[in-house]
Amino acid sequence: MSLLNISARPSRLTCWILSWVLFATGISLYFYTAQRRHKENPDDRVVPTLGQLAAGIYQASMHPDGDEEQQPDNAAQSAIQRFRNGMLWKDTVASSRRFLYGLALLFPAVLLGLHMGIFPYFGVFFLRFILFFDKIIALSVLPILFIAFGIDELSKVMLIVIGVTPTIILDTFNLSKSVPPEQLVKGFTLGASDFDVAYRVVLKQIWPRVLNSIRLNLKPLMLFLFAGEMIASTDGLAYRIALLRRHMGMNIIIPYVLWVALLLFLVDLTMRLLNKKLHPWFREA
Amino acid sequence: MQRTRLTAHLYRSIAIIHIALLLLAPVILQRPLHAGEKPSFIVGWSVYVGWNPYYYMAKTGIMKKWADKYGIAIKVQRFDYAPSLEAFVAKNIDACAMTNMEALDMPAAAGIDTTAIIVGDYSNGNDAVLVRNGLTFKNLPGKRLLLVEKTVSQYLFERGMAMNGMESQIKRVHLVNTSDSDISAAFMTDRSQEAVVTWKPLVSQISKQPGVTNIFNSSQIPGEILDLTVVRTDVLNRKDGAGQNFAKALAGAWYETMALMSGTGPGTDKVLAAIAEGSQDSLQSYKEQLNTTHMFYTPKAGMQLVTSPEIKQKMALVKQFCFTHGLLGENTKSPDDVAVRYADGTVQGKPDRVRLRFDPMYMQLADGSKL
Repeated sequence: MSLLNISARPSRLTCWILSWVLFATGISLYFYTAQRRHKENPDDRVVPTLGQLAAGIYQASMHPDGDEEQQPDNAAQSAIQRFRNGMLWKDTVASSRRFLYGLALLFPAVLLGLHMGIFPYFGVFFLRFILFFDKIIALSVLPILFIAFGIDELSKVMLIVIGVTPTIILDTFNLSKSVPPEQLVKGFTLGASDFDVAYRVVLKQIWPRVLNSIRLNLKPLMLFLFAGEMIASTDGLAYRIALLRRHMGMNIIIPYVLWVALLLFLVDLTMRLLNKKLHPWFREA
Repeated sequence: MQRTRLTAHLYRSIAIIHIALLLLAPVILQRPLHAGEKPSFIVGWSVYVGWNPYYYMAKTGIMKKWADKYGIAIKVQRFDYAPSLEAFVAKNIDACAMTNMEALDMPAAAGIDTTAIIVGDYSNGNDAVLVRNGLTFKNLPGKRLLLVEKTVSQYLFERGMAMNGMESQIKRVHLVNTSDSDISAAFMTDRSQEAVVTWKPLVSQISKQPGVTNIFNSSQIPGEILDLTVVRTDVLNRKDGAGQNFAKALAGAWYETMALMSGTGPGTDKVLAAIAEGSQDSLQSYKEQLNTTHMFYTPKAGMQLVTSPEIKQKMALVKQFCFTHGLLGENTKSPDDVAVRYADGTVQGKPDRVRLRFDPMYMQLADGSKL
């Protein structure tokens, strides 16, 4: 048996065990450190214990933000109402809204990329500029963004748009270029119009790859969203993390980070399944 | 054939070494690098008018001179403010420059017993509430206010509201948590923003804009926002006595620099210009910041503040603020759970939970030239 054998076929059980080893190591290292640090200093906040984490999760999901105006009858509300008034839910709603706006604005970008790839006049008009624009680090020209979009909601969404759309445009452009020209000719000989070819021949077959590309760009999208919320905001997941960092509220920060990871994973999974369902003919990782 | 086998072997050993390194990394990284050398300490500072002297001490060798005198090594390291606090709480550094408020809500509240050995200055106008359109505290409810939340900025704002009889309306002001690296650009470029709380040198830049007025600043609450040098108490109490020497060397280097700063004549300007370099400031701008900073140039002045009865009232205000905003931790039931011990030995809070100590000993030694 060799660990370094390309044609090895590990058994099901081995696969299952091996894939969880790093998780188990990480978790046990964490709790070992937590326990050691708490023995030394019972008030330690840097590495909270399980109990503190549980208290943090309860606090985050059931209690409203302490600085907000109090709801009149907090104690009388049902668990669901309290959860909906809790900071975790409110922050999630605020961040999700920005995330969805950002995501929605990627779709015009796909169309632009497609048109640039298909229609030569479009291509020459936009390509050079977008290649340039793609290389601009949006975060380094914040004051300009503030002048153009203020510092409220719009600027956060625009930061996402500026950060992520050029990649999507260029990717769609390349994908549409890579469709074999014979297919376009074939389309025309079968009597298709220019738009038929663009939407029903090219877009149709690059669409699953485009969705994939959007999916792979979810993380940059999230990074820009977080950056925006950390610059100036009144709510949102990254806002809360930035605030809690100020007094080492790691017992809430860690659950928040895991929650964000879970949400991202779910969005990613949904998009993957959707892609599979919509395009069963498409076989590619 | 021989060759390919050799390469296969090579690759395999590389892979094995990689895996081994990956597994061993935590062990290797944790090992102390120098054992048995002279004790070494790190002091962290961040850019602020009252802390820039650390830059000067490190650059001119004053710090090294004092460290050598006490047979220790001291490394002076510049941080951004928040990371310096985090490094101190994580025990990566031994001493740090911070305000009294952060000393309470970061190390003290996280159970790190902390001792303030030098009181360098208090903010005497460095922090300010600035507004557009001639707003006053009376108009602020319902408006947006840019600031770094849960810091001295918010403390200043709430004190301002309270002193203007608007205490009950504090929660009606919409706070926008804004990163300090972007706050001046955000306020100056977005003219729909009407109010901001920040500190110098940002205050100076923003005030220069037409139509911006300063409606409240820290000179109206003198001695409440103190700038300290703190050391972890367990470092001070090291068995080999090196921690004491570290604190003495810090105090020695600090007051030598203070004497240079407060002198008169052209030599002083040279010193101040060199200190200003620590924050890429010009001499003129640094002097302007010094005008709104009440420096304690002599150890005697610092001692007077630490031993005065007022410090207790002022710390009580700050502690109450930290408690109200959950900065002392969620499971803290009362502000007394994080207790402060003062120079005269009195304890504010529960005696078994002393987390922050004001120790005038090192300033006293400096005052008597006994360092």
